Amino acid sequence: MPSKNFERSVKFYEGKTQNGTSVWLPLVDVSLITPSNSRISLPLLFDTGASVTTLRADLYPLLGLRSWNEGLRVQTDTGGGQVDAYQYTATIEVFGKSIQCPIQLLQTLPLHPLFCGLLGRDTVFNEFGFGFWESTHELFVTEIP
Amino acid sequence: MKLSATTFEKIGDFKSVIESMSIEAQSPTELLSALDRIGIESYVTEEGHLMIRYWQIGAEDFVPPEQASIIRTSRHLTDQGDNMDWLSKNLQTIREEYGGKWVAVYNERIVASSSTLPDLMNQIEEYDRPLITLIPAEPVIWTFTYAL
Repeated sequence: MPSKNFERSVKFYEGKTQNGTSVWLPLVDVSLITPSNSRISLPLLFDTGASVTTLRADLYPLLGLRSWNEGLRVQTDTGGGQVDAYQYTATIEVFGKSIQCPIQLLQTLPLHPLFCGLLGRDTVFNEFGFGFWESTHELFVTEIP
Repeated sequence: MKLSATTFEKIGDFKSVIESMSIEAQSPTELLSALDRIGIESYVTEEGHLMIRYWQIGAEDFVPPEQASIIRTSRHLTDQGDNMDWLSKNLQTIREEYGGKWVAVYNERIVASSSTLPDLMNQIEEYDRPLITLIPAEPVIWTFTYAL
């Protein structure tokens, strides 16, 4: 079996369900580069099930938009069925790398103060390797996949 | 860009401070800690150069690349986690005061809040990498399973 090395780890944060049980969320601090070249830190949920990095629709001002639905309309599968999302391109900094990638805005993401969206696979995941230990709430990252 | 005489003097003073600290420090880690202590934000590039934010005064070949990777990992994680940790630990208190508002967190404190995101952005232009989030007015409960 190959041996893998990781340089970083992603911290998990505790959330509570309606019945009081805990869920542990791997949250990544991602910097979004705005059109005015400022860097905004956004906590995103690391989500291997998300094909594209996705932000809550109400964050559209960070992309320099006048409304959330100016971009390319795409259909996206969610837990609640297929919904419209709007796609843009932006630069993010994550795990020490600057990456230009597609960003979708979606209205149906839940409002949660500890994350503003999902860190998804398209373009971003190609840059890294990941190791995941569910039982110990550990997610490891290498910049050299 | 033309720099004023005052700015040149400040850069000169700043370079002197860095040079002095570089000579006195026993190790790269010690120098980085010293910079942290006096509030100078710095980072180490993948190539191992020491960079100072804002002024971009660099010390080339500060450490070999293999040591740079170790330093960058430990320092970056600390930087990344601070605001999120603070937000997570203080969420209940923050929600009581800022429920329904956008907030910007910087250096483990809320530096701006607003009912609209554009207004918040206008308030935080001076900060590099403030964490932005919307604080719900209601208690936060995890209610969904998501896959896109």
